[in-house]
Amino acid sequence: MSMPPAQGAYTCPYCRMASEGTDGACPHCGAPVDVRRRVSDSGWVEQPPIRDMARIRFSRSTCQISGTYVPVAEMGLHDDDWVYFSHHVLLHTDPRVRLGNLPMKGGWKRMRAGMPLIMMRAQGPGHIAFSADEPGETLAVPLHPGRAIDVVEHRFLVATGNVGYQWQNANVWFTTKDGDEQETHYPVGKTMDSFAASGGPGLLLLHGPGNIFIRDLAPGERILVQPGGLIWKDQTVRMFLHFEYPRGAYWFSSSKWQAKTVWLTLQGPGRIAVQSVFERPEMSGAVYQTSGATTQRW
Amino acid sequence: MDRIECQWCKAQNETGRTNCTTCGAPLDTKDLVTDSGWAEAPRLRDMTEFRFSSSTCQIEGEIVPVAEVALAHGDSVFFEHHVMLWKEPGVPMSALNTGGGMKRMLGGMPHILSVAHGPGRVAFSRDAAGEVVVLPLHPSMELDVREHAFLAGTHSLTYSFVRIKGLANVLHGGGGMYMDRFVTYQEPGLLLLHGYGNVFQKTLQPGEKIMVEPGGFLYKDSSVNMNAVKQNVKTGLMGGHSMYLAEMTGPGRVGIQSMYVHHGSE
Repeated sequence: MSMPPAQGAYTCPYCRMASEGTDGACPHCGAPVDVRRRVSDSGWVEQPPIRDMARIRFSRSTCQISGTYVPVAEMGLHDDDWVYFSHHVLLHTDPRVRLGNLPMKGGWKRMRAGMPLIMMRAQGPGHIAFSADEPGETLAVPLHPGRAIDVVEHRFLVATGNVGYQWQNANVWFTTKDGDEQETHYPVGKTMDSFAASGGPGLLLLHGPGNIFIRDLAPGERILVQPGGLIWKDQTVRMFLHFEYPRGAYWFSSSKWQAKTVWLTLQGPGRIAVQSVFERPEMSGAVYQTSGATTQRW
Repeated sequence: MDRIECQWCKAQNETGRTNCTTCGAPLDTKDLVTDSGWAEAPRLRDMTEFRFSSSTCQIEGEIVPVAEVALAHGDSVFFEHHVMLWKEPGVPMSALNTGGGMKRMLGGMPHILSVAHGPGRVAFSRDAAGEVVVLPLHPSMELDVREHAFLAGTHSLTYSFVRIKGLANVLHGGGGMYMDRFVTYQEPGLLLLHGYGNVFQKTLQPGEKIMVEPGGFLYKDSSVNMNAVKQNVKTGLMGGHSMYLAEMTGPGRVGIQSMYVHHGSE
């Protein structure tokens, strides 16, 4: 992954952007600059919560994060700047902000995938604020031109106008059969959002329920995560399903049906971010069809 | 003698105190106000204690805080019965008839408010992560609160409920059909609310407006006018969608919560 040239004395260990490091918080991602990096023994880096009232700067505008349980991202938009968002995350706006809609393609597919149909844009000048609907952390991902990341659906909060947005099939699925019942499961959602900055640095804000951890995978390095725990990944990171069947004492507990574990394999190189709150995939029935997957029977 | 004014409730406190005796707000920390003027509700420290009448209230916990009230003889608090977490067996209970039974049933609000009388202890909490907001009401104040946000009110408050005006407000306002109204006359009172997520307050000047997602609305002074304003959003799919925002017009305070169920689109 290419990095922007260092222009300051401080390089943020979380977003890798350079700054003076004198404001108490990284101006690109809001991470505090005066805390020790917390790394678990296995290599997960805890993303430090953005401090109450910390400011992130983008273009000629600011984003201020307030609150701690369900943080609010308040944008102070300059005349020339705009942001886009899904309408259900809007919390408040001053009347000067011009609200409109962002043209979206594939409405029918999005509706079928349970994705929001409406993407709105807010044009400065003025203040506008956003929040999610569950306790967790706001994650700011500054994107320099040419960098693209994949984000799990429903994690997106707001992005600056120069961040391009696309969505595609996640292509991670499995089908279970239980008697005559057949069901297709999408453990990371039917679709994934992709964001890439163009024409200048961009800012992407996500919301992760619970706490957030990041990890850099070396080329070929693999890690298994709960599919519902993934927030985002670099596009260089491959993902596919992995089924584990623990050994059982009896034939009916041999886990073909109930005791299997559905993992998401993430393979480097690249960065991944996970959240500590997730839903487990449903387990009923035997798996008989999948997207690309590996299997382990213990 | 020097006094410290609480920035949240404006009560005067003795120097050296670290918490306001009237609302529990920390007095030794800086107020947190966003660039656009939203003040964070004070984060009450675990085990903070404050007084009303001859009684005390202690806030316990931080994720889903509990308000524990030690009622003195002659004092009482009223509340929706499902927010009561525990009580001492000897605390006498009575019921406060709210009137408007059928209307309240249609509005999904409880018919009867429970009243706990001193002496004794009783504790309250709601069902999701958030903050207890302590609002001392000076004499002759009126405050409107979205339904199901009210945790407990002291005996000197007069409780009523008001129908939200305007069909658009009712259908698209996200706050239901009614708001709880709390009024003080000669005596001050204390109102405890539970806001989901974090709570912020802004004081609007006369004529000043702010647009709020209806699900985020928590409380307002009754002098603040609330109207649902339609926002057209075209999607190119079956004609488009609309969303509604609550337009708040000052003068007065508006309180919002950062975690809410979205009600505003059709």
